[in-house]
Amino acid sequence: MPLVTADNLVKKYDELTAVDGVSFTIDEGQIFGFLGPNGAGKSTTISMLSTYLPPSSGDAVIDGLSVTHQAEKVRNIIGVVPQDIALYPTLTALQNLKFYGKMYDMGGENLDKRCQELLELVELWDRRDSRVEQFSGGMKRRINMAAGLLHHPRFLLLDEPTVGVDPQSREHIFETIFKIRDSGTTILYTSHYMEEVETLCDYIAIMDKGKMVASGTLHELLSVLGEGGVIELKIAPPGCHAGLEEAIAGQNGVTSINHQDGKLLISSKNSAHSLPPVLKVLEDTGCTVDHLEIYTPNLEKLFIHLTGKELRE
Amino acid sequence: MRQLKRLWQITLKDLLVMGKDRGSWIVLLLTPLAIIMVASFALGPAFNGELKSKLLAVNLDQGAIGKQLIDGLDTAEGLDVVEGTEAECQSLAVGDKKYKTSLVIPADFSSQILTGSDTSLQVYVDPTDNINRPFMLGMIDGAASRLSGMVTSVRVSVSEVIKFAPEAEPVTVASDAALAAANQMTGNPPVAVEISNAGTTADINMFDTQAPGYSVMFLLFGVMLGAEGLLEERDKGTLGRLLVAPVAKTSILGGKLVAQFLIALVQMTILFGVGHFVFGMHLGNSIPGLILMIFVTAFTATAFGILLASVVKTRRQATSLGTLIIILMSALGGSWWPLAIEPDFMQKLGHLTINAWALDGMNALIINGKTLTDILPQAGVLFAYGCICFLVGLRLFKFRNA
Repeated sequence: MPLVTADNLVKKYDELTAVDGVSFTIDEGQIFGFLGPNGAGKSTTISMLSTYLPPSSGDAVIDGLSVTHQAEKVRNIIGVVPQDIALYPTLTALQNLKFYGKMYDMGGENLDKRCQELLELVELWDRRDSRVEQFSGGMKRRINMAAGLLHHPRFLLLDEPTVGVDPQSREHIFETIFKIRDSGTTILYTSHYMEEVETLCDYIAIMDKGKMVASGTLHELLSVLGEGGVIELKIAPPGCHAGLEEAIAGQNGVTSINHQDGKLLISSKNSAHSLPPVLKVLEDTGCTVDHLEIYTPNLEKLFIHLTGKELRE
Repeated sequence: MRQLKRLWQITLKDLLVMGKDRGSWIVLLLTPLAIIMVASFALGPAFNGELKSKLLAVNLDQGAIGKQLIDGLDTAEGLDVVEGTEAECQSLAVGDKKYKTSLVIPADFSSQILTGSDTSLQVYVDPTDNINRPFMLGMIDGAASRLSGMVTSVRVSVSEVIKFAPEAEPVTVASDAALAAANQMTGNPPVAVEISNAGTTADINMFDTQAPGYSVMFLLFGVMLGAEGLLEERDKGTLGRLLVAPVAKTSILGGKLVAQFLIALVQMTILFGVGHFVFGMHLGNSIPGLILMIFVTAFTATAFGILLASVVKTRRQATSLGTLIIILMSALGGSWWPLAIEPDFMQKLGHLTINAWALDGMNALIINGKTLTDILPQAGVLFAYGCICFLVGLRLFKFRNA
């Protein structure tokens, strides 16, 4: 059952459309991933869902509450972990958490207990009285995440929570996210690292230039490229044979053919089996191969396939 | 009620953050204390009459009146006569030492006066000395006036005596009359001028005049730091985090206003406390009045900080624009020198500033011994000023980065 439903969300700044009609649903208990390059509109979408920015049009409903009309109530059930380290550097880890807890009317023993739980969750309980400014980047990220969880939010929005952290801290953050998911919290996770989204997310939406260009489970998304891999060919001379593509498409296991940057991307059920007949077709038609690559489908390749550019551009 | 609790928590957090920022305390307390002390000790001798202006003089007169004139000037308050040669007086220099004013008493000075004849004193001045010159010329002119009175009395005496005793020798009469008049020179003048401090606080000191002005100026610098802190919260995302929590914008700005207000109160209280207990600064006759002025000044300055944060885009702008405005307000509003010495239109312009209204009230209490009811108009204007700043700031402040 969906906890979150976004319906045609649009955010415009004068001439610029940062988010252009994005719609999706997030099921309860799911980790929903937003993947896209910087500037794709991921953070703006999170800002609208978190009530930080009002949508120019469209709406989103979280647990039955509209972000445009019931923002105050929405704020009580969501937790936000912003991309910035939104902490007070001269205060200690515990002082930061207590302050943010009090913003949600928490106090007394409940707040003390919750702070301890979260500091133990992010494994910083023994550093609770250290100033945040003395922490490493990874430790700050973990406290930043804990601050968004104090009030037991039903829906947690994580905006690129691993930016600038070392691999060890990243692993630690991943473990924490799984623990949060296991406690029943629904999570929206944005990243421009495909490995993170592949590892963490149950459902993935790919964004580019303010639009959602694809969505589905990892398996569903990668099947677009062919379950058995992709044969990438650069052929000389270009257009060497008019009926080449039709001839390749008719070979055993080939599921689709696409063009990208002068290359042919041949998806198949089993690229190892499909390769010999494809090469035979090329030989028969008098074409030569300048470049040949066989790869297993991944989100990076899918993004290139969908947008014609690399994810990190 | 919940929003009020959140407002208070934001206040406590800001106080905690501020308490840990030693650099801010240096700006808030140590710097103003140092400047007040330097200004007070530097200007104190002049203010207390301990700093005397030096008059280089040469007495070429062979008679007694020239010496009496020098002695009279030397005993005058604020004046010290240094003897030199005629050439030194003309060049205003004795070796490497430079003087601003000199006086040459001519050789026939006494004989001319004793005969009731016209004579003159030669004064040399440094044309760049605009500060001491009026005082020095005033002192010499005063002495010359008394001598002119003496010559006049000699002439009248001679004319009256000759009228009733034609056989009397005019020169003898003039000489006797002149000597009698000259004996009056060293005593109190027949018409004296008595000067008293207006108001009830008679023995004001330099701290009384310097501390309020500099305290208000550094209060404004303190709230400028508060404005920068607010913008820093916006830049670093902590303000954004509060915006996605169930906290009203009025609670966020209100909490910061209360925190800054309390810091400003502590700052003013410490500055005035140190001034009073360490340097003997007077607090006037109305402590409630002074407390009211400190409260409204701290409130208005704090609200000004919110307004400043609302009209700039970056922390750098807050620093540069804030510094410019505060320096202008301090100069115009009487923090550096008394408003009374400025032209009328500048005084009117000065009353557009927080400093002028605050200092009007504080000086009325500390220097003129006024009471709580006397300073209610100034306190009222300041409070209204603060309310306008806060409301405009709340309306204009951009909680989100562009």
